[in-house]
Amino acid sequence: MGARAEVHAHDLVIVGGGLTGLRAALQACRAGVATAVVSKVHPLRSHSVAAQGGINAALGNAPGYEEDTPEAHAFDTVKGSDYLADQDAVAVMCREAPAAVIELEHMGVVFSRTEEGTIAQRPFGGAGFPRTCYAADRTGHTILHTLYEQLMAADVAFYEEFFVTSLVTDGGRCTGCTALSVPPGEVHAFPAKAVLLATGGFGRLYSRSTNALINTGDGAALALRAGAMLKDMEFVQFHPTSLAGTNILITEGARGEGGILLNREGERFMARYAPHSLDLAPRDVVARAIETEVAEGRGFPGGYVHLDLTALGAGKIMARLPGIRQIALDFAGIDPVAEPLPVQPAQHYSMGGIAVDDGGRTGVPGLYAAGECACVSVHGANRLGGNSLLETVVFGRRAADGIIDAVNARARPDPGPAVEAAAADERRVAALLGREGEEKVPALLRDLKETMYRSFGIFREEQKMQDGLSTLTALRKHAAGASVGDRGRRFNQALVNLLELEDLLLVGETVARGALMRRESRGSHTRTDFPKRDDERYLRHTMAGLADGKVVISYAPVTIGTFEPQERVY
Amino acid sequence: MMLKVLRHDGRPETAPHYDLFEIDAEPGMTVLGALFRAREVYDDSLAFRYSCRGAVCGSCAMLVNRYPALACRTQVAGLLAGEEREPLAPYPAIEGGEAWDARTTVLVEPLPHLPVLRDLVVDMAPFFAHYRAMRPTFAPADRAPERERLMAPETAGALEAYTACLLCGACYGACPVDGDDPAYAGPAALAKVYRFHLDSREAGDGRRLRTADTPHGWWRCEFHANCRRVCPRGIEPNVAIGRARAELTRRKKGGE
Repeated sequence: MGARAEVHAHDLVIVGGGLTGLRAALQACRAGVATAVVSKVHPLRSHSVAAQGGINAALGNAPGYEEDTPEAHAFDTVKGSDYLADQDAVAVMCREAPAAVIELEHMGVVFSRTEEGTIAQRPFGGAGFPRTCYAADRTGHTILHTLYEQLMAADVAFYEEFFVTSLVTDGGRCTGCTALSVPPGEVHAFPAKAVLLATGGFGRLYSRSTNALINTGDGAALALRAGAMLKDMEFVQFHPTSLAGTNILITEGARGEGGILLNREGERFMARYAPHSLDLAPRDVVARAIETEVAEGRGFPGGYVHLDLTALGAGKIMARLPGIRQIALDFAGIDPVAEPLPVQPAQHYSMGGIAVDDGGRTGVPGLYAAGECACVSVHGANRLGGNSLLETVVFGRRAADGIIDAVNARARPDPGPAVEAAAADERRVAALLGREGEEKVPALLRDLKETMYRSFGIFREEQKMQDGLSTLTALRKHAAGASVGDRGRRFNQALVNLLELEDLLLVGETVARGALMRRESRGSHTRTDFPKRDDERYLRHTMAGLADGKVVISYAPVTIGTFEPQERVY
Repeated sequence: MMLKVLRHDGRPETAPHYDLFEIDAEPGMTVLGALFRAREVYDDSLAFRYSCRGAVCGSCAMLVNRYPALACRTQVAGLLAGEEREPLAPYPAIEGGEAWDARTTVLVEPLPHLPVLRDLVVDMAPFFAHYRAMRPTFAPADRAPERERLMAPETAGALEAYTACLLCGACYGACPVDGDDPAYAGPAALAKVYRFHLDSREAGDGRRLRTADTPHGWWRCEFHANCRRVCPRGIEPNVAIGRARAELTRRKKGGE
């Protein structure tokens, strides 16, 4: 391929079209920054649409709970995080939450309402107040569509179905990226003054996941290869209630509205694990409880428990949980009005991610990250429900604000390095398509996901993890020889899946090494061989970097603020 | 089961053909699952869009047994068992064509009325151009207050009946008029205008209704109601269109 790559020059390239990417794009466009959103799917197909339950803000709208404050929100978040969150970042998020939610309402988001007409709020796990604002059980969908609607009136360039293949650095500074345009199968160059990664999580590293199939950790892998660090990657959240089998999410809002968990004996078992919070204990607590019930033979055959919504009645289910009812009907053939739902824990959220400050800055100048792909860190060892949507809009906007100042002060970079990188990636694509090898991507992916679930799932232990890491190392070798059957260029999704596999393998190794070296139990990271939290040795962030192609682990301090670490009791 | 899939390389000079894949239909398998299986076992060049696999993102709208549907939401077992679906008003894209035995075979083809890029992947640009032409940006009637604008819970509920739209395009592919007249805005774009018209935070002065007060807007609908029958979210664009027309007529009679 001698043809010169197509070049698209912008001030800012945002990779990812979910809530974080679109909120940042809106901010940058309004400030006159020439902005592009590069996404591997159409923005409205982003995983953000699947967020059901809501977005937290201390609005105090729930009758009887008017005294809720950002400080109370911050305390719940820090306690939920098992004290690993950086308290300065948490304070920023919780302080900005009410304005961020009001701003969404002003953009046109149709939140569910109280009788007084204000934004309604429901209780969520680990929160001292009903603090979660919602739009029935389609909160992510509604907010994402609203942000997209806002962008219809803004000057933004969308590049849809572009898979970003590498970040471009010039003299240690990020000056753009390259991306495979999937419809024609060509690599394009995107020189830019700044790149913001907003690519979401890496849930598809696990065989059981609530995530969209597109959540393959591409942003984390890109950042790592470009010299940025990843933070706290071993903290992987398992949502307690996914539909057994397909693992489609059943929102925590279902328990917030009064749903209860029952084991095979019909016992409300959460009373034994969290006597005060019961079914609304934080996700790590409930997920471990369900996994324990199943392991000790009190689950149903196939490894699940029941989530019983029948006491809510048809009216409340139709009004507050219409999407849940539809999912149950479509994917399990069960009507939750009449029957309990079979639920089991599944990977749901990546607390860790690209290490950034509260302005989205990575260690690489010109490279920013926000949203689930980043780690600020506001979730620490366990994220509370309703805080992820909040993170996307707060830190998406903050990153954009910082970028606006930075790019206005800079000239557009020399496009040369981006063009050269595109040519190199074009050769790499040609080489991948020309590979002859027995190894096939789907089988490797399946092995990877099952290994991660088995060795780095809810309960972890030294030997299982060592075995898992050996498998990962072997899989990386196999993947280096994997070939695809489709040798064509147009819409070659097999090629995209191969690139995703490479990203997942790299990300998986950071999770594995972080988990092996953290010899304690904290939040979502539960080691049966080290069941206690160990603040003396591990009240610190795990940092993963790449040196000579190898993942290297180091540690960084946690920022403690007004909330002194104490034991979590729910 | 057999999966019969339309294949096309997207170049205008090549003719489409059908490939037949034998799939072990596991309990609970969806059409999307069957497509992945075909790709994994037989041919990884089979192209189709996907993302959420849970009927919330709208990527995988396609023709399943000549019926526009989300592949991820459609169970194979139901199709083979001859599960009843509400009959559609006929239109060329679902009539005639390739024969198949619905007791043994699931027929999968791209969403009609849009150009095929490859296999089951269509160019959604014309669909989104109609959406964008409706200027779908919230336009409040007053300056932003300190706090949220108030809205009655019932109004929020009424709006939810339209904001739930995925923009998957199933209704567009099901609409006989869209097949005849590519200039017709189509059900999804019109339902979107109506959503803003209903929003109590906008002026309610009929401006939104006038946006689609054109021969290719509200007035082009023939009320076949296929849009309502295929919508994965139970949205009724035909109802929105009917109400919009009635209201426009009323406003015009009122001498507005």
